[in-house]
Amino acid sequence: MRAFVPILLAGLALATPAPAHEGAVTTPPAAPFAKVSGLVPLPDFIPGLGTLYVDPATLPAGPFLGYDHDGRLSATIYMIPLDDLAAGKAFDKLPVGTDTVTGVDIYYNAGHPGVEKPHAHVVLYHDKDAAGRLAK
Amino acid sequence: MTLSRRQMLVLGGGGLVALATFAAAPVRSAEPVEIAMRGTPRGERVWFSPPGLSVAAGTPLRFVNQDPANSHTCTAYHPDLFDRQRRIPAAAVPWDSDFLLPGDSFALTLTVPGVYDYYCQPHEMAAMVGRIVVGRPGDPGWEGPAPASEDLMAEVLAAFPPVDAILARGRVEAQEAA
Repeated sequence: MRAFVPILLAGLALATPAPAHEGAVTTPPAAPFAKVSGLVPLPDFIPGLGTLYVDPATLPAGPFLGYDHDGRLSATIYMIPLDDLAAGKAFDKLPVGTDTVTGVDIYYNAGHPGVEKPHAHVVLYHDKDAAGRLAK
Repeated sequence: MTLSRRQMLVLGGGGLVALATFAAAPVRSAEPVEIAMRGTPRGERVWFSPPGLSVAAGTPLRFVNQDPANSHTCTAYHPDLFDRQRRIPAAAVPWDSDFLLPGDSFALTLTVPGVYDYYCQPHEMAAMVGRIVVGRPGDPGWEGPAPASEDLMAEVLAAFPPVDAILARGRVEAQEAA
């Protein structure tokens, strides 16, 4: 299984030639990115994902940019509806918040305001402590 | 997080019905009976706890969002709310809590005897539904469970706990309802 991780990361790097937003590492991103909690009824800080920003035009896939409590970009998240994948839809060339990725989590989510269909969360962590800072 | 409290008294068929069912079993509680909205930390599963509850008419109910990562609603199946098919007694007034953020709550009192089915708007596709049985069969004005309707997925219909089980045990928990 380990062999698939570098292959996956290499694939993401090839598919994402440019960061989603220059200068997004330590401050919330500029428009068209908007705070998710201002777009849909969700908490400001979502445990596990952080304070999320998204360009509404990219919904549902994103990228969503996840910031920790200190405003540091910690993760880039994609939300991929399962029925879209089953129907053959591809999500190619999705941007990333920053090109340093230290780990990836992929898991099922039953839905929430904004992305109500069952979907997969693909979480790219941008440093080795990111998951811990986003946990609570 | 701002705590918002909303309240609604669903009187429906009027005070006479409410008075007539006041003494029906189960015993009416003076304290609010709580129904929690819960979810796993990553949102793989979401549910009402308990999804099946039996109360006497007039019992105060309190829905509380105890899911730290998600928002939820409790919304009655009724044509007045998003044009859904009615699954509460005809004499009852439908309700919608609107979105409750973590820690928020919604108060509700049901007085018309019968079976009330409700759902969470963003999580109906995940079969996050619940059923409240008010009073018992034979109570004046009683209306039993609604039949299957074409606007509900099979998974949702299967998630409503059976009325007999709710009446027998008072409450049916999520794992029992699954």
